[in-house]
Amino acid sequence: MYKYRAQLTKGDEIRYISHLDYAGVMERAIRRAKLPAAYTEGFNPHLKMSFASPLSLGVTSDAEYMDFELTKPLCQPEIFDKLSAALPPGIKLIKLKPVKEPKPCEGKKHKALMAEVEQGIYEVVAPLIGDWDAAVKAVEKYNSAHEVNYHRVTPKKTRDIEVKQYMLEPVKIGMSGEWVKLTMNISITQTGSIKPAEILELLHTEYGLPVALGRALINRSKLMGQGKDLIDLV
Amino acid sequence: MIKLEPEILQAVEKPARYTGHELNAVHKDWDGVDCHFALAMADTYEVGMSNLGLKILYEVLNNRQDTACERVYAPWTDMEAIMRDKSIPLFSLESFTEIRKFDFLGFTLQYEMIYSNILNMLDLAGIPIWAKNRSEKDPFILGGGPTVYNTEPIADFFDFFVLGEGEEVITEVAEAFVKWKKDGKPGGRKGFLKEAAKLEGIYVPSFYEVKYNEKGYFSSITPKEPEAKAKIFKRVIKDLDRVHFVEKPVMPYIGIVHDRIMLELFRGCTRGCRFCQAGTSYRPIRERSREYLRGLARKLVDSSGYNEMSLTSLSSADYSCLGELVDDLFSDFEGEKVSFSLPSLRIDSFSIDLAHKMQQVRKSGLTFAPEAGTQRLRDVINKGVTEENLMTAVEAAFKQGWKQVKLYFMMGLPTETDEDIVGIARLAEKVARKYKEVKGKWGVTVTISVSCFVPKPHTPFQWFGQLPKDEFERRQRLLKDSITERAVKFHYHDARVSVLEGAISRGDRRISKVIYQAWTDGAKFDGWTDLFKEDVWHEAFRKCGIDMKEYSERTRDFGEPLPWEHTTPGVSKEFLKREWDKAIAEQLTEDCRRGKCSGCGVCPSLKVDIVDWKRREGEVKASV
Ligand code: SF4
Repeated sequence: MYKYRAQLTKGDEIRYISHLDYAGVMERAIRRAKLPAAYTEGFNPHLKMSFASPLSLGVTSDAEYMDFELTKPLCQPEIFDKLSAALPPGIKLIKLKPVKEPKPCEGKKHKALMAEVEQGIYEVVAPLIGDWDAAVKAVEKYNSAHEVNYHRVTPKKTRDIEVKQYMLEPVKIGMSGEWVKLTMNISITQTGSIKPAEILELLHTEYGLPVALGRALINRSKLMGQGKDLIDLV
Repeated sequence: MIKLEPEILQAVEKPARYTGHELNAVHKDWDGVDCHFALAMADTYEVGMSNLGLKILYEVLNNRQDTACERVYAPWTDMEAIMRDKSIPLFSLESFTEIRKFDFLGFTLQYEMIYSNILNMLDLAGIPIWAKNRSEKDPFILGGGPTVYNTEPIADFFDFFVLGEGEEVITEVAEAFVKWKKDGKPGGRKGFLKEAAKLEGIYVPSFYEVKYNEKGYFSSITPKEPEAKAKIFKRVIKDLDRVHFVEKPVMPYIGIVHDRIMLELFRGCTRGCRFCQAGTSYRPIRERSREYLRGLARKLVDSSGYNEMSLTSLSSADYSCLGELVDDLFSDFEGEKVSFSLPSLRIDSFSIDLAHKMQQVRKSGLTFAPEAGTQRLRDVINKGVTEENLMTAVEAAFKQGWKQVKLYFMMGLPTETDEDIVGIARLAEKVARKYKEVKGKWGVTVTISVSCFVPKPHTPFQWFGQLPKDEFERRQRLLKDSITERAVKFHYHDARVSVLEGAISRGDRRISKVIYQAWTDGAKFDGWTDLFKEDVWHEAFRKCGIDMKEYSERTRDFGEPLPWEHTTPGVSKEFLKREWDKAIAEQLTEDCRRGKCSGCGVCPSLKVDIVDWKRREGEVKASV
């Protein structure tokens, strides 16, 4: 088997499709591209593919990662062109690299894509509905707090999460036109993380960030492990 | 252009229902075309996107240079609430244009229980609900599809209907429109409707006058305009190899009901089940050729990336060259991991062998439709299946390893007695015991699914009075109590919905008031059990002073004019009456596909012939 890693986008057109649906869309794209894809065994064969950290509904991304396997080694430009041509609106192929499997004598295999993820960088934009200075102050106050708790309510359970443990860097604030732009560098661990939308909510409700929450847009710009983009880990 | 803010999309269930941009969706420059067509299904995105007819017409219309065709479906209740609150009008999924800006809004009429949703969509679009209130700037509202053989209950909401198969007539409509527009719209709205009425298969309800007799029953419908025909026959495609079929289906980003390729093998089914409206309305049998289907299959797999293909038709196992076609497809798609399935199986071992070969995932089980519990009643409905056929088929299935069988039945058929009801339980139990006999142990699940019979227009049972709701429910209890075997599971349809369907499907124009009233009082998504509001409908009948049972339960007189006879699939009343008599006499009628013509009238009145490759082979041999 020949494994490849793709860096893909999730554009505005499809920001509202789920992680599972995104995987289905990619499976059909690979089939349309007529690549010699590898399948799982059994009655209901599926493409051998895996994804990195799932995105929340409504979030776009320049850093979606997918590993997939082919039964024949094709050259990178051929795969790149065929797959690009088969993608639906809303998904673009940015980079593609073969995954070099370590030799058996080197011991362990490549980690699962999901397990390589340690860090995500997000950009959040939202219309300013008040004073710029107040916005800056709100972010400063949040950044200097030692401990911040987020009360996460899901249909199954509710729990409190200490947020600051996941902040790799202070939140940065900037302005473009009427929009406030925040950059968040968040740690993603095996045991948990915090979502950019949750940080935004805290900034707004607890720290008084004067933005129109309902019109905020979030984009994942990077997904990293060991301080590098996932595409550079293979 | 309608733009939905993130806060709206974040707040609704499955927001991708409303965001479009799917692969293979067609986007045309609005000002670059003369005719703007919106195709609609008054149900959710997932249901609408699964409809084969809409997929075909979408491509047929978009293949025209002068026409842009876009899609629209019913917003779910959560989205509707927001749209009403924020005054967002109904919009299309391609250009996000307001629906009222289109020239046409065409609804597919799949079943009666979506009528309230049609009204709701018109209202959300800001289009007057009654056709007579529409002005020059409103779109023409048209309908077509399975329920089009009695459109009287919704006649007052529509500008015109398209009877029968739409591929050819829809382009004639677009052509007539473009011409009328270029000529400066002579005669205005009515002028165009007159042009449309000249086309075969088009019914313009406002061009007719309806009369009722002193008993309050429908007595006549007569044309008021010279262009309106006294009787409108359905359109039929003579050669299905020469008409456009889906080649590039719009690919949804989210799961839909039929999330696979649908390859239509043939149209029509002449097995002649006497309860079945599809059986009379899609006649005669016309098969596509194996070569054509093979080419289509290739195109569809390439353009969609789907790995599942359903070989659809009313009774797919009847396709002349099914075995050969399946072999072709297996070899064409070897190594591409495409799986094939048949939506329904015939009750015989050929079907079982085929299903086995197609490796239908076993856990999903097999489905058969004996329809009635005793041989006597199966003869009444002309279901040419015996208990022995069923036992042979399930025996073959159990030997091949199937462990789940689903059996479809109908309740409330003409002449049905308690013995027939108990017969359903006995038959299911025999199937379960067959498993024990074959396998030497238990471990089978036999699910019986029982629907409530709704008599439909243009069928031999069109005169028959439907059972009252309470009687359906009594028979359901009787059946439940008659099941003694644990391996047999029982599902039944909601009789409350079936009797309403019974009233509407044989309704006349006066029923439109009721539908309007029910919608005003909150009826919508009536086909969705949780949303069905029985009391709203009963109250609507009461408010309109109409007795629902007059429509559902009254047995019509054979001599009585029926409100749907002027819109016909071409099956003659004499044939239907003959079939009724044979039903009562428990006599069978042969399938005309390869047997002799039973004189239903379709072929001569529509000037069309059966296309069945096996029959043709026989004919060629006979003539040599
Ligand atoms: S006219 Fe005869 S051959 Fe044609 S569909 Fe009717 S019964 Fe069959």
